Amino acid sequence: MKKALDSVVDAIDIETFLYCKSESEGKELAEKLTQELNLPHGDIVFLEFKAWGARVRIRSYIHHPGDHYRWLETEGN
Amino acid sequence: MKTILLAPLDPVHDNAIKLLKRKLDEAGYNAISMPPGTTPEEVIQKSLTEKPEVILVSRTLGYKVAEILSQLLDLAEASGVRDTTRIGIGGMAITKEAGAELGFDGCFVGELKMNEVIDFIENRVPSVELTGKSNQLRIKPDITAGYTYKFYDPIIEELLERITSQTLAWVKDKTTIGIERAKIRTELLECEKEGNSHNQLLDKYISLCDPEIQNFYKYHTLPDGVRWLGQSEINRVSDLFNVPHPDFNSLRHTEKKPLFFSQYGTGCPIMDVYHIKVSEAWGIDGVFHFDPSWNAQKEGLLEGHLTHEYDGTILTLENLQFIHHFMEPYTLWNVRGHRGLNTPETQVLGHAAGADLFKINIPYGSTAGGTDPQRLTVDGIYSLMLAAQYGIPFDIPGNDELSGVPPYKTFAGILIMMALGLKLGARPIPKPLLCYSPYMTINGLMDDNMIDMNVAKLAVWRDIVDTPIWPGEPVGFMTHTSDRVQSALQTSLHASLAATMDVDAVTIASSDEAYSKGPISVQARVDTLRAVRDQLRFQGSIKTTLSPAAESIKDEIHEKITETLSIIADRDDFVASIYEGLIGSQEDGLYPGRIGAGTVNG
Repeated sequence: MKKALDSVVDAIDIETFLYCKSESEGKELAEKLTQELNLPHGDIVFLEFKAWGARVRIRSYIHHPGDHYRWLETEGN
Repeated sequence: MKTILLAPLDPVHDNAIKLLKRKLDEAGYNAISMPPGTTPEEVIQKSLTEKPEVILVSRTLGYKVAEILSQLLDLAEASGVRDTTRIGIGGMAITKEAGAELGFDGCFVGELKMNEVIDFIENRVPSVELTGKSNQLRIKPDITAGYTYKFYDPIIEELLERITSQTLAWVKDKTTIGIERAKIRTELLECEKEGNSHNQLLDKYISLCDPEIQNFYKYHTLPDGVRWLGQSEINRVSDLFNVPHPDFNSLRHTEKKPLFFSQYGTGCPIMDVYHIKVSEAWGIDGVFHFDPSWNAQKEGLLEGHLTHEYDGTILTLENLQFIHHFMEPYTLWNVRGHRGLNTPETQVLGHAAGADLFKINIPYGSTAGGTDPQRLTVDGIYSLMLAAQYGIPFDIPGNDELSGVPPYKTFAGILIMMALGLKLGARPIPKPLLCYSPYMTINGLMDDNMIDMNVAKLAVWRDIVDTPIWPGEPVGFMTHTSDRVQSALQTSLHASLAATMDVDAVTIASSDEAYSKGPISVQARVDTLRAVRDQLRFQGSIKTTLSPAAESIKDEIHEKITETLSIIADRDDFVASIYEGLIGSQEDGLYPGRIGAGTVNG
């Protein structure tokens, strides 16, 4: 059976709010989060720190343009 | 006449019931509505006296929802109402799954779709998802229709006459290998259509290409990072997208214009198709093909279904035809050829693949676009002739403003392109850029607001010439950040401001506009389409009137356009004017392009 991840057309974005005390700590945490979630090629698209934490969006490309897309494959292929 | 009983099983919320009653009355049903706070017992009691064919109940609050709805169905069973009456449920607290699990005959979630409700009342198989406006057949519009291109400013008209006469006289008897390839490509296409052999023609074509392109044709070597698409991949795209689908509503709420465009060019034709189909589903009217810059910097184009992992989708006839094949019949398609060494051939291939619009701008392409001014003037004018011959309008982006050029210089360049096109029989569309450009930032011209300058940049065109106006490209350039909410909001604000100025089309970005570390994601396209739709809903048919400050900016731009054109006309050499920075100087941030320098013959 196909994994749900195979149906991601190109990228996964995860938005969250991280408890942290500085922008650099927020970045470190966001990077760590992509690793903990096993997201390949994780990148911080956006991070905004204000006083009590950071609003963040991290992205992982599941399919890059030019790849062989798993969503294009038929079942069992 | 069928009787429908409408009951809000909710202490206060009955807006949906009121709306439903009005729509069902209009549709010819006997709709009886009950007040908020109606209990399940009261619904059944009313049903026993009115004997409705259908009961539609709504519930907004989630509190005790399952308990109340189960009670209603139990009473309907016990009283015998269920034997003759079908019961539907809707409202904020309801999901499709919950409705089915509880045992309702129908369940309506999300935006009210009357066709779904009526299908349920009539006990019909649900039709495709249609709402109001989508029932109207969408047609492919001609953006230039109804415009006369009459100049209201005789001084500007006279200056343009002088500049274009000089330019066309200069270009006469000149040619380039780009033009020669375009002519050969036209012959090759004719040969293929008639099934004739074209080996000699192809050899001639190859001889006019750069070595890397020659190697592709001779030895089938692909440029770095490029691969062929497999036949199975191509076939599978057909399986995915050549299927019936619901109608797609336009973004517009009440107005007939503007049309909304976005660019594609992920690098992969398959991914492009997916992005275009999603954009269509969310309401886009037209799309642009973006090719990679290396594609434009080499003499000659490749052939076949090719993909790669870099920005811009490789321009080949097969790629263009493949992408175009999956577009909705009403989707307008622009194949851009505003810069580079393959400008004339791009128009030939675009036309062969079914393009509706071209993009040609010599001043922009030969400065910020990097192509040598002489070369692009010769190629560009030939491209304008092709646009005229094919009857395909061309748009003229004013994106040189992004380098720091003041709008009046950019507009002078656009006007020259318009006049050249008109003289050659083509139909131009100017594209003033709505942006927070370096010129605005440095000179503090948008310190208070972003409205006055942008509306002045649109309004000035109405004082000069009767022309369609298409702000781009995309609107809101340099206001976007990688915050998707901020980015989508800026796009929607700029797009809607343009809409209030009665423009004909608008190019919008995705919310990934300011994200440069990866390709645009498909969800980022939806972000801005969704934001623009709501913004248009919010403003309806409201129009903007210019503030005194905007009027003053408009008049100043107008005056300076005239001054700029006057200087160029007196210089009596359009190409030299570009080299010398009269349409945008090095101080402004523009440098003449170098690609293709010294390649003009004659």
